[in-house]
Amino acid sequence: MALTQVSSNKCAGGFQKVFEHDSTELKCKMKFAVYLPPKAETGKCPVMYWLSGLTCTEQNFITKAGSQLAAAEHGIIIVAPDTSPRGCDIEGENESWDFGTGAGFYVDATEDPWKTNYRMYSYVTEELPKLINANFPTDPDRTSISGHSMGGHGALICALKNPGKYKAVSAFAPICNPVQCPWGQKAFSGYLGSDRSTWEAYDATVLAASYSGPQLDILIDQGRDDQFLSASQLLPDNLIAVCSEKKIPVVFRLQPGYDHSYFFIYSFMNDHIKHHAKFLNA
Amino acid sequence: MLKNSVFLVCIKKRKATIVTHCCFQSEIVMTRNHLQGKVAEMENFAGHLEEIFLTVEENFGRREQHLEQHYNDVLQTLSQRYDERAAGLEEEKKSKLEALYRQLLACGQALDASKELIETAQEIYRSRDKRLFLKVCPDLKLSTHLELNTPLADLSDVKTMMDSINVVPAPSAPVINPQMPNSATQTSLRVCWSLFSDDTVEYYELYYRPVLEDMPADSTLPSPPVIKQRECTSCPEAALIRWESGNTNPVDSYNVELSEMGTDGTESGVTESIVAVPTCQCLIQLQTGQRYLISVRAVNIGGPSDRSDVIIVSTTGTFFHLLEETAHPCLSISEDGFTMFYGDEELSISAMAFDDNTFTRCVAVLGDLIPVRGRHYWEVEVDDGTEFRIGVAYMDTERSSYLGANNTSWCMRHILTPTRHKYEFLHNGWSPDLRITVNPVRIGVALDYERGTLSFFNVDLEQHLHTFHCHFQSYVHPCFGLDNPGALTVHNSIEAPEYTFT
Repeated sequence: MALTQVSSNKCAGGFQKVFEHDSTELKCKMKFAVYLPPKAETGKCPVMYWLSGLTCTEQNFITKAGSQLAAAEHGIIIVAPDTSPRGCDIEGENESWDFGTGAGFYVDATEDPWKTNYRMYSYVTEELPKLINANFPTDPDRTSISGHSMGGHGALICALKNPGKYKAVSAFAPICNPVQCPWGQKAFSGYLGSDRSTWEAYDATVLAASYSGPQLDILIDQGRDDQFLSASQLLPDNLIAVCSEKKIPVVFRLQPGYDHSYFFIYSFMNDHIKHHAKFLNA
Repeated sequence: MLKNSVFLVCIKKRKATIVTHCCFQSEIVMTRNHLQGKVAEMENFAGHLEEIFLTVEENFGRREQHLEQHYNDVLQTLSQRYDERAAGLEEEKKSKLEALYRQLLACGQALDASKELIETAQEIYRSRDKRLFLKVCPDLKLSTHLELNTPLADLSDVKTMMDSINVVPAPSAPVINPQMPNSATQTSLRVCWSLFSDDTVEYYELYYRPVLEDMPADSTLPSPPVIKQRECTSCPEAALIRWESGNTNPVDSYNVELSEMGTDGTESGVTESIVAVPTCQCLIQLQTGQRYLISVRAVNIGGPSDRSDVIIVSTTGTFFHLLEETAHPCLSISEDGFTMFYGDEELSISAMAFDDNTFTRCVAVLGDLIPVRGRHYWEVEVDDGTEFRIGVAYMDTERSSYLGANNTSWCMRHILTPTRHKYEFLHNGWSPDLRITVNPVRIGVALDYERGTLSFFNVDLEQHLHTFHCHFQSYVHPCFGLDNPGALTVHNSIEAPEYTFT
């Protein structure tokens, strides 16, 4: 589990670094970004995992989201992995932007030819945390997760499928009900096959309906002028309806004028880090 | 025509039978005569009709003329009357306006006169010779009675005191602390006193005299003040104590005494006193997380009064009462002063006594928050089915407007729609669009003047709901409103949970 440092830049008093390693889950070289706040030089810090959206690499979040100042202030390590395995030479891997490379959807694929490499769920919930905890000054008991769009879906399912593992969860414009939207249907039928019942294990709305575990407190921001909201790719109303019924605490904020971009994420990043800090530093 | 056709038939018949010609001829003559008679009759009838027509036409003409004349008469009368009335009203209006203007002038003059009077009074009051003020006072033409029956002897005392004021203001009277146990021997006595921190003191003069038994009670001593429990308010850093003088004897100033209360509830002796408080209220800086016993004494030249009743102030959290005088008439407040009800029954208009300070539209009430620019936290217990508004407002927030609808109030609003519970965070009539999946029934409100934030929390879930960012220019006060019948309960003196001010 050797890490190779790809880059390191001083940032907000700490360091923004990128590492590369050989992933056993994904059977390829993977890059991830890690922000180490000043506090990490002297003590253990909690970790927030950030899952990015379709087409992203580990770069988008660290260059556009403006998370480092708030992370430094609250003493939080932020880990941002890539969004899929890369360079596996699978046929059709690079054919479309919403399936294959850059579109791992944070599931463990069961269908050929994807099932060998496309195991992003196990990667972000098992392999990566082990790697991080072994190499950085973390407090493994204080972990949280957040993400954007496909990564928002990833963050929600990771929290809902692993009660107690993540102390806090939040999302920007998440895909809330993938089994009901075109993106989700395309990805799940490709990675998981035609049996729709297997899809439900990776659907936040379905998982919320049967969630039992420690109290969650979910913060979701959504741009009102998000083209994918009006295209029915995100379906937050379905998740809110289930959470209202199941009394899972959610604050869902519809932000007028904002779209699906990182400009929107940047605008509310501080609120989300503060939300995570409340639980990570409690 | 009938006759003619008979005639034609006759002609036809004549063609057919010439034999009967003779007897027909006589018949024709008869018929002709008959017809001639009829024609004459008809002509006569036509003549009559013509006559009638003429008469009718003539009559109509006359009638028309008559009506027209009548109509003109009526119109003329009406316009005449209208002019008369209008002129009358105009005159009345003019005279009334003049009267009002005169009143306005008089009022303005009175106002100017009052202002001058106040200024003169202030000027005299500020001048060094305080006696001048006392002398001039009875000249003030105010409705309130200002004459003071000061005995002459007292005035000479005042004179000597006045003369002693040169450059440095005279210090306030020190307060002698109660005698400590074991502080005296048979031949010596330790006396301790506290001073008012603003004073400059060169030295103290200590006077003593042996106490004679059966010393007559000094009748000029003031009586103890009465602390107004419902008007006292506090926060983790300070307390605002208000009291009534309760005195007919003259009072120069007040002393506020406070002592920390031990954990076992015992008093630890007077630890601090604030002396020479000129008004009937005092803002006292305190340590956080303690309990204090606070009492007040009135002081005059004869000395301090007995201690007032003691009030216990706890500095664990912010404590305030509701300002019942601001409550909308439909809002009733429980005896303990912390639960408000908006009843089902409709009040008659006459029962709705509004004054300048009551909310007239929004069924709401303000709380009396201590004027300290620190952090304040309180909680409100609500019912799932109650439509409410909870937040803060400036003291002068419009009483005729809804909380949150203007730029002087900030509030969380709960609305019941047929399909769901809706929450708004209103300021200036605008709210962000957000959805909350679990309805809060206990809401935490956290106000931080320094950071300029007002946050709302679901206390049971420790869930953050919303934060307003606003640098409050003046002091704000908690506000509570009900939009449908129901109840709200305010919970005070609660230590702010850690998550509220992070």
